[in-house]
Amino acid sequence: MSLASGVSIADDCITEFNNFRMSHGKTKYIIFKISDDKKTVVIDSIGKEQDYEVFRTALENCKNDAGKPMPRYAVYDVEYDLGSGEGKRSKIIFISWVPSETPTLWSMIYASTRENLKNALNIASSIHADDKGDIEWKTVLSEASGGKAK
Amino acid sequence: MNPSNPPQTAEYGGDEVSAIVLDPGYSTTRAGFAGEDAPKSLIPTYYGKYNADGQEKFVYGDDIFVTPRPGLSIHNPIGRDGIVEDWDMAEKVWEHSFTSRLTGAKPGNPFQNGLNDIPSEELPTEMEVESEEKPLADSPLLMTEPGWNPAKAREKTIEIAMEKWGTPAFYLARSGVLAAFASGKASALVVDIGASNISITPVHDGMILKRGVQHSPLGGDYISSQIRALFKKNSPQPITITPHYLISSKNAVEAGQEPQVKFKTFAADKAPDASYRALLEERTLSEFKECVVQVWPGPNKLSATGPNGISNEDAARSSPGRPFEFPDGYNQVFGADRFRVVESLFDAKAAIPDPDSPFPTLPELIKASLAGVDVDIRPHLLANVVVTGASSLLYGFTDRLSQELMAQFPGPRVRISAPGNTAERRFGSWIGGSILASLGTFHQMWISKKEYEEHGANIVEKRCK
Repeated sequence: MSLASGVSIADDCITEFNNFRMSHGKTKYIIFKISDDKKTVVIDSIGKEQDYEVFRTALENCKNDAGKPMPRYAVYDVEYDLGSGEGKRSKIIFISWVPSETPTLWSMIYASTRENLKNALNIASSIHADDKGDIEWKTVLSEASGGKAK
Repeated sequence: MNPSNPPQTAEYGGDEVSAIVLDPGYSTTRAGFAGEDAPKSLIPTYYGKYNADGQEKFVYGDDIFVTPRPGLSIHNPIGRDGIVEDWDMAEKVWEHSFTSRLTGAKPGNPFQNGLNDIPSEELPTEMEVESEEKPLADSPLLMTEPGWNPAKAREKTIEIAMEKWGTPAFYLARSGVLAAFASGKASALVVDIGASNISITPVHDGMILKRGVQHSPLGGDYISSQIRALFKKNSPQPITITPHYLISSKNAVEAGQEPQVKFKTFAADKAPDASYRALLEERTLSEFKECVVQVWPGPNKLSATGPNGISNEDAARSSPGRPFEFPDGYNQVFGADRFRVVESLFDAKAAIPDPDSPFPTLPELIKASLAGVDVDIRPHLLANVVVTGASSLLYGFTDRLSQELMAQFPGPRVRISAPGNTAERRFGSWIGGSILASLGTFHQMWISKKEYEEHGANIVEKRCK
């Protein structure tokens, strides 16, 4: 067992993630957050918009009551085409979003809970982002396709 | 009981008790209650030893600076590599860090503490005190350790915590992981610039990559030795640091002039040991580092020539100098020299000749560290360099590190994150531990006393990976 916060994952997260996996691209993303009592990872929002920028803006707009940016986790279904006539492929990637202005308390809690959630959802590809520039479409695409799709 | 199962809440006292977080360094030991922003107790890890009335006596905490007792000598229980050498004394220094400010001293034997004295000859007072209460009997304890702490040392640490201090629950956390987490990252290359050591710790998915851990003695103390070397060949005259306790009176003098000072003298049998003087000289050097020393900002090394044909040395010389006054009143403006004393962290050739310092430079250490980890994760680590440790507060340090890394690794994106807040840089791993140990959910991580008794000290290897 490596060092971790012990924050648990709500059953809901797993159920909704499985639905998301089965939806084959109809659902594009799920955003998760840690509850205010710092005890559980819960679902923040689920989106079906096909435009990637909608998701990116949704992440950026996650704020606390005081209007300060707050961290989140997210999963996104990346669809790509390698162009060799093999048709479309898709892969789910895990994103940890910890904006650089995040207070240390929440940075610590999100960082130390990340592996727990990632393992519970069983996702191999992940990206860590401090600012919007870290999750441009081309970065996400390259991570999902192992650098093959441009 | 299966050691991988979490203890029950009742076994470690539940959420009601504040855990204590202890972050032992070479230069200072930091201790405080979990959930607080900064450690309440910050003491030197050095301790003093002297003889009085035929008995060996010890001085701990800030008291070591105060009185130049006859024969007082200064020691450190931790070796230069950050690993404990003298366990008995490490235990005492660490214990002082929390009993002096946090938990209070142990209650003394009630028959000897004077509160229960009874007129003599009335009753025999030869009863045994049942059991002395241990200093941490009520508080869970989270301690930090360097990434290269050997298994034996880890076991010894939990043994002291459980048996000598009686803590109901314990956890040992790698300081590199704590520093990465405190920056919000589960994967990072942690560059820790401490007093006796520089260390590079690659952390991936919350785990230390042991093969990539690098450390070298190029820390704050090394910079001090470079400053001493500079002082020896300083012009207009070599500088000797005379600590305040040796100065009886002084007059203000112009910059660069001989100091006008009257010294205090100690008879040979009254004088403290040379190690006491060295400790106090170090305090002056710390001030010098904070006020004068600056890291050459780059681009390129201090010895290189800039884009417009002016050598970087000349550019450094033309930048405004900074004045510094020594305890004996001698004062001088330091120009290019204030860059020179730290240049060897980045450029081995720039070291001021000093017999004992052929160490790898910081960029070399980082290169060696990355060579020890999987090729695929190197770009992730370079994009997440976390800088921590008090000596990283040297003026201009992170800018230069960023320059050097970009020059050395031109392909991948290099990004450095360093807390702007001084306290977070000095106490990064303490603060990380403080947050974790204050979380209600952290109870799953603690090793309870019961588990320790059942599985022995080796449980720390299984649970604190």
